[in-house]
Amino acid sequence: MGTMSVGVVPETRQVEETEEGLATSLDVPWVVIVWNDPVNLMSYVTYVFQTYFGYSEAKARILMLEVHEQGRSVVSTGSREQAERDTVAMHSYGLWATFQTADA
Amino acid sequence: MARAFRKTRRGIAGEFEPGEVRLLRRLFADVVQLLETEKREDEDPLAAMVGLDLEAVKPEDSAVIRLLPDAVRNDDDGALEFRRLTERSLREEKVSALRGAALLLENTQVVLNPDQAQVLARALNDVRLVLADRLEIKTDEDAARLHEIADLEDAEDLESYLALVYNFVTWVQEGLMQALLTSSEPRK
Repeated sequence: MGTMSVGVVPETRQVEETEEGLATSLDVPWVVIVWNDPVNLMSYVTYVFQTYFGYSEAKARILMLEVHEQGRSVVSTGSREQAERDTVAMHSYGLWATFQTADA
Repeated sequence: MARAFRKTRRGIAGEFEPGEVRLLRRLFADVVQLLETEKREDEDPLAAMVGLDLEAVKPEDSAVIRLLPDAVRNDDDGALEFRRLTERSLREEKVSALRGAALLLENTQVVLNPDQAQVLARALNDVRLVLADRLEIKTDEDAARLHEIADLEDAEDLESYLALVYNFVTWVQEGLMQALLTSSEPRK
Protein backbone atom coordinates (compact mmCIF):
# COMPACT_ATOMS: atom_id res chain seq x y z
CA MET A 1 0.00 0.00 0.00
CA GLY A 2 1.25 3.47 -0.89
CA THR A 3 1.74 6.36 1.43
CA MET A 4 -1.25 8.25 2.68
CA SER A 5 -1.95 11.66 1.27
CA VAL A 6 -4.17 13.46 3.65
CA GLY A 7 -5.02 17.13 3.43
CA VAL A 8 -6.06 17.62 7.00
CA VAL A 9 -4.32 16.30 10.06
CA PRO A 10 -7.04 15.42 12.56
CA GLU A 11 -6.57 16.69 16.06
CA THR A 12 -5.71 14.13 18.66
CA ARG A 13 -8.45 14.16 21.20
CA GLN A 14 -7.83 15.97 24.45
CA VAL A 15 -9.00 13.00 26.49
CA GLU A 16 -6.31 10.86 24.94
CA GLU A 17 -3.51 13.12 26.01
CA THR A 18 -4.59 13.33 29.61
CA GLU A 19 -5.74 9.74 30.07
CA GLU A 20 -2.99 7.87 28.30
CA GLY A 21 -0.23 10.28 29.21
CA LEU A 22 3.37 9.21 29.00
CA ALA A 23 2.69 5.51 28.69
CA THR A 24 1.83 5.80 25.00
CA SER A 25 3.61 8.98 24.08
CA LEU A 26 6.54 7.11 22.61
CA ASP A 27 4.39 4.75 20.57
CA VAL A 28 3.44 5.30 16.98
CA PRO A 29 -0.15 6.55 16.98
CA TRP A 30 -3.02 4.59 15.49
CA VAL A 31 -5.38 6.00 12.92
CA VAL A 32 -8.94 5.27 11.83
CA ILE A 33 -9.57 5.45 8.10
CA VAL A 34 -13.05 5.79 6.61
CA TRP A 35 -13.34 4.48 3.04
CA ASN A 36 -15.59 5.77 0.29
CA ASP A 37 -18.60 3.83 -0.88
CA PRO A 38 -21.36 4.81 -3.29
CA VAL A 39 -24.16 4.22 -0.77
CA ASN A 40 -23.63 6.37 2.30
CA LEU A 41 -25.14 9.82 1.82
CA MET A 42 -22.83 12.81 2.10
CA SER A 43 -25.24 14.37 4.58
CA TYR A 44 -25.25 11.22 6.70
CA VAL A 45 -21.46 10.90 6.74
CA THR A 46 -21.13 14.56 7.78
CA TYR A 47 -23.72 14.00 10.49
CA VAL A 48 -21.85 10.93 11.82
CA PHE A 49 -18.52 12.80 12.00
CA GLN A 50 -20.19 15.70 13.83
CA THR A 51 -22.21 13.56 16.19
CA TYR A 52 -19.72 10.84 17.09
CA PHE A 53 -16.44 12.76 17.08
CA GLY A 54 -17.94 16.10 18.08
CA TYR A 55 -16.25 17.79 15.10
CA SER A 56 -17.50 21.16 13.87
CA GLU A 57 -19.71 21.11 10.79
CA ALA A 58 -16.84 22.59 8.76
CA LYS A 59 -14.35 19.94 9.82
CA ALA A 60 -16.90 17.15 9.39
CA ARG A 61 -17.61 18.36 5.84
CA ILE A 62 -13.91 18.53 4.95
CA LEU A 63 -13.39 14.94 6.13
CA MET A 64 -16.55 13.79 4.32
CA LEU A 65 -15.38 15.42 1.06
CA GLU A 66 -11.98 13.82 1.47
CA VAL A 67 -13.63 10.39 1.77
CA HIS A 68 -15.81 11.15 -1.24
CA GLU A 69 -13.15 12.64 -3.51
CA GLN A 70 -9.95 10.88 -2.45
CA GLY A 71 -11.52 7.57 -1.53
CA ARG A 72 -10.55 7.69 2.11
CA SER A 73 -9.80 9.94 5.03
CA VAL A 74 -8.11 9.62 8.38
CA VAL A 75 -10.89 10.60 10.77
CA SER A 76 -9.20 10.06 14.12
CA THR A 77 -5.76 9.51 15.61
CA GLY A 78 -4.84 8.16 19.03
CA SER A 79 -4.09 5.04 21.02
CA ARG A 80 -4.81 1.59 19.66
CA GLU A 81 -7.75 1.19 22.06
CA GLN A 82 -9.27 4.46 20.90
CA ALA A 83 -8.79 3.53 17.24
CA GLU A 84 -10.51 0.18 17.84
CA ARG A 85 -13.42 1.84 19.59
CA ASP A 86 -13.82 4.45 16.86
CA THR A 87 -13.69 1.80 14.13
CA VAL A 88 -16.46 -0.26 15.73
CA ALA A 89 -18.47 2.93 16.22
CA MET A 90 -18.12 3.76 12.51
CA HIS A 91 -19.32 0.24 11.66
CA SER A 92 -22.30 0.67 13.95
CA TYR A 93 -23.24 3.73 11.85
CA GLY A 94 -22.72 1.71 8.66
CA LEU A 95 -19.56 3.53 7.55
CA TRP A 96 -16.73 1.39 6.24
CA ALA A 97 -13.72 1.98 8.51
CA THR A 98 -10.41 0.27 9.33
CA PHE A 99 -7.67 0.99 11.84
CA GLN A 100 -3.89 0.75 11.51
CA THR A 101 -0.71 2.36 12.78
CA ALA A 102 -0.12 5.82 11.38
CA ASP A 103 3.07 4.70 9.64
CA ALA A 104 1.58 1.59 8.00
CA MET B 1 -46.89 9.66 -1.35
CA ALA B 2 -44.88 10.36 1.76
CA ARG B 3 -43.95 13.85 2.81
CA ALA B 4 -40.23 14.28 3.47
CA PHE B 5 -38.99 14.76 7.01
CA ARG B 6 -38.64 18.38 8.00
CA LYS B 7 -37.80 20.33 11.09
CA THR B 8 -40.86 21.61 12.92
CA ARG B 9 -41.43 23.17 16.33
CA ARG B 10 -42.62 19.83 17.67
CA GLY B 11 -39.60 17.95 16.33
CA ILE B 12 -38.54 16.26 13.12
CA ALA B 13 -41.80 15.43 11.40
CA GLY B 14 -42.63 13.18 8.47
CA GLU B 15 -45.75 11.73 6.94
CA PHE B 16 -46.16 8.40 5.18
CA GLU B 17 -48.74 6.27 3.43
CA PRO B 18 -49.72 3.12 5.35
CA GLY B 19 -48.07 0.96 2.66
CA GLU B 20 -44.84 2.93 3.00
CA VAL B 21 -44.46 2.40 6.75
CA ARG B 22 -45.33 -1.28 6.26
CA LEU B 23 -42.61 -1.54 3.63
CA LEU B 24 -40.00 0.17 5.83
CA ARG B 25 -40.86 -1.98 8.84
CA ARG B 26 -40.59 -5.10 6.71
CA LEU B 27 -37.19 -3.98 5.42
CA PHE B 28 -35.99 -3.40 9.00
CA ALA B 29 -37.21 -6.90 9.93
CA ASP B 30 -35.42 -8.40 6.90
CA VAL B 31 -32.11 -6.85 7.94
CA VAL B 32 -32.63 -8.02 11.54
CA GLN B 33 -33.03 -11.53 10.17
CA LEU B 34 -29.78 -11.23 8.23
CA LEU B 35 -27.96 -10.10 11.37
CA GLU B 36 -29.29 -12.57 13.88
CA THR B 37 -27.05 -15.56 14.15
CA GLU B 38 -28.36 -18.89 15.23
CA LYS B 39 -27.59 -19.74 18.79
CA ARG B 40 -25.20 -22.64 19.03
CA GLU B 41 -25.65 -25.45 21.52
CA ASP B 42 -22.03 -25.51 22.59
CA GLU B 43 -21.75 -21.76 23.04
CA ASP B 44 -19.81 -20.49 26.03
CA PRO B 45 -22.44 -18.56 28.02
CA LEU B 46 -19.87 -16.37 29.77
CA ALA B 47 -18.25 -15.37 26.49
CA ALA B 48 -21.71 -14.59 25.08
CA MET B 49 -22.49 -12.44 28.09
CA VAL B 50 -19.47 -10.22 27.59
CA GLY B 51 -20.06 -9.99 23.84
CA LEU B 52 -17.35 -12.35 22.64
CA ASP B 53 -17.82 -14.90 19.93
CA LEU B 54 -14.69 -17.00 19.75
CA GLU B 55 -16.06 -19.10 16.89
CA ALA B 56 -17.07 -16.16 14.70
CA VAL B 57 -15.97 -16.38 11.08
CA LYS B 58 -16.21 -13.83 8.29
CA PRO B 59 -19.81 -13.90 7.01
CA GLU B 60 -20.45 -15.46 3.60
CA ASP B 61 -23.22 -13.12 2.50
CA SER B 62 -21.68 -10.01 0.93
CA ALA B 63 -24.47 -7.83 2.36
CA VAL B 64 -23.67 -9.05 5.87
CA ILE B 65 -19.98 -8.38 5.23
CA ARG B 66 -20.90 -4.82 4.30
CA LEU B 67 -22.84 -4.46 7.58
CA LEU B 68 -20.03 -6.09 9.58
CA PRO B 69 -16.87 -5.30 7.61
CA ASP B 70 -13.30 -6.29 8.39
CA ALA B 71 -11.76 -3.69 10.70
CA VAL B 72 -8.20 -4.44 9.60
CA ARG B 73 -7.06 -4.37 5.98
CA ASN B 74 -4.67 -6.81 4.35
CA ASP B 75 -4.49 -8.93 7.50
CA ASP B 76 -7.08 -11.71 7.56
CA ASP B 77 -5.92 -13.12 10.90
CA GLY B 78 -5.96 -9.71 12.56
CA ALA B 79 -9.39 -8.96 11.09
CA LEU B 80 -10.76 -12.30 12.28
CA GLU B 81 -9.39 -11.88 15.77
CA PHE B 82 -10.97 -8.44 16.02
CA ARG B 83 -14.26 -9.82 14.65
CA ARG B 84 -14.35 -12.43 17.43
CA LEU B 85 -13.98 -9.69 20.03
CA THR B 86 -16.45 -7.19 18.62
CA GLU B 87 -18.84 -8.63 16.07
CA ARG B 88 -21.44 -9.97 18.45
CA SER B 89 -22.06 -6.66 20.16
CA LEU B 90 -22.04 -4.84 16.82
CA ARG B 91 -24.74 -7.20 15.55
CA GLU B 92 -26.76 -6.62 18.70
CA GLU B 93 -26.40 -2.86 18.44
CA LYS B 94 -27.61 -2.87 14.84
CA VAL B 95 -30.51 -5.18 15.62
CA SER B 96 -31.61 -2.91 18.44
CA ALA B 97 -31.51 0.19 16.19
CA LEU B 98 -33.51 -1.65 13.52
CA ARG B 99 -36.13 -2.79 16.05
CA GLY B 100 -36.24 0.70 17.56
CA ALA B 101 -36.74 2.21 14.12
CA ALA B 102 -39.63 -0.16 13.42
CA LEU B 103 -41.32 1.02 16.63
CA LEU B 104 -40.88 4.66 15.57
CA LEU B 105 -42.79 3.95 12.38
CA GLU B 106 -45.92 2.44 13.88
CA ASN B 107 -48.04 5.33 12.62
CA THR B 108 -48.12 7.24 9.38
CA GLN B 109 -47.57 10.55 11.19
CA VAL B 110 -44.08 10.52 12.69
CA VAL B 111 -42.53 13.12 15.00
CA LEU B 112 -39.00 12.44 16.26
CA ASN B 113 -36.53 13.98 18.66
CA PRO B 114 -32.87 14.04 17.51
CA ASP B 115 -32.01 10.76 19.29
CA GLN B 116 -34.93 8.95 17.71
CA ALA B 117 -34.01 10.47 14.35
CA GLN B 118 -30.53 9.04 14.74
CA VAL B 119 -31.92 5.56 15.43
CA LEU B 120 -34.05 5.80 12.31
CA ALA B 121 -31.13 7.15 10.24
CA ARG B 122 -28.89 4.22 11.27
CA ALA B 123 -31.61 1.70 10.41
CA LEU B 124 -32.40 3.31 7.04
CA ASN B 125 -28.69 3.33 6.27
CA ASP B 126 -28.29 -0.38 7.01
CA VAL B 127 -31.31 -1.16 4.83
CA ARG B 128 -29.72 0.85 2.00
CA LEU B 129 -26.41 -0.99 2.41
CA VAL B 130 -28.17 -4.33 2.03
CA LEU B 131 -30.30 -3.22 -0.94
CA ALA B 132 -27.21 -1.71 -2.60
CA ASP B 133 -25.40 -5.01 -2.23
CA ARG B 134 -28.30 -6.90 -3.80
CA LEU B 135 -28.43 -4.31 -6.61
CA GLU B 136 -24.65 -4.52 -7.03
CA ILE B 137 -24.17 -0.79 -6.59
CA LYS B 138 -20.39 -0.57 -6.61
CA THR B 139 -19.68 2.86 -8.08
CA ASP B 140 -21.23 6.31 -8.04
CA GLU B 141 -22.23 5.66 -11.68
CA ASP B 142 -24.18 2.52 -10.67
CA ALA B 143 -26.01 4.58 -8.06
CA ALA B 144 -26.76 7.36 -10.57
CA ARG B 145 -28.09 4.87 -13.12
CA LEU B 146 -30.52 3.35 -10.62
CA HIS B 147 -31.56 6.79 -9.46
CA GLU B 148 -33.50 7.23 -12.70
CA ILE B 149 -35.98 4.54 -11.66
CA ALA B 150 -38.39 6.70 -9.70
CA ASP B 151 -41.80 5.57 -10.84
CA LEU B 152 -43.66 2.31 -10.25
CA GLU B 153 -44.26 2.22 -14.01
CA ASP B 154 -40.51 1.95 -14.52
CA ALA B 155 -40.36 -1.15 -12.35
CA GLU B 156 -40.64 -4.08 -14.73
CA ASP B 157 -38.68 -6.74 -12.92
CA LEU B 158 -37.31 -7.60 -9.49
CA GLU B 159 -34.19 -5.51 -9.99
CA SER B 160 -36.04 -2.36 -10.97
CA TYR B 161 -38.53 -2.89 -8.14
CA LEU B 162 -35.61 -3.17 -5.69
CA ALA B 163 -34.10 -0.04 -7.23
CA LEU B 164 -37.39 1.77 -6.69
CA VAL B 165 -37.39 0.69 -3.04
CA TYR B 166 -33.74 1.74 -2.70
CA ASN B 167 -34.52 5.18 -4.13
CA PHE B 168 -37.48 5.58 -1.78
CA VAL B 169 -35.41 4.68 1.30
CA THR B 170 -32.65 7.04 0.09
CA TRP B 171 -35.18 9.85 -0.30
CA VAL B 172 -36.55 9.26 3.22
CA GLN B 173 -33.04 9.20 4.71
CA GLU B 174 -31.89 12.30 2.84
CA GLY B 175 -34.89 14.28 4.12
CA LEU B 176 -34.23 13.01 7.62
CA MET B 177 -30.55 14.03 7.43
CA GLN B 178 -31.36 17.52 6.18
CA ALA B 179 -33.85 17.97 9.03
CA LEU B 180 -31.33 16.61 11.55
CA LEU B 181 -28.44 18.74 10.30
CA THR B 182 -30.53 21.90 10.49
CA SER B 183 -31.76 21.04 13.98
CA SER B 184 -28.29 20.47 15.41
CA GLU B 185 -27.11 24.04 15.25
CA PRO B 186 -23.38 24.88 15.34
CA ARG B 187 -21.18 23.41 18.00
CA LYS B 188 -18.14 25.20 19.28
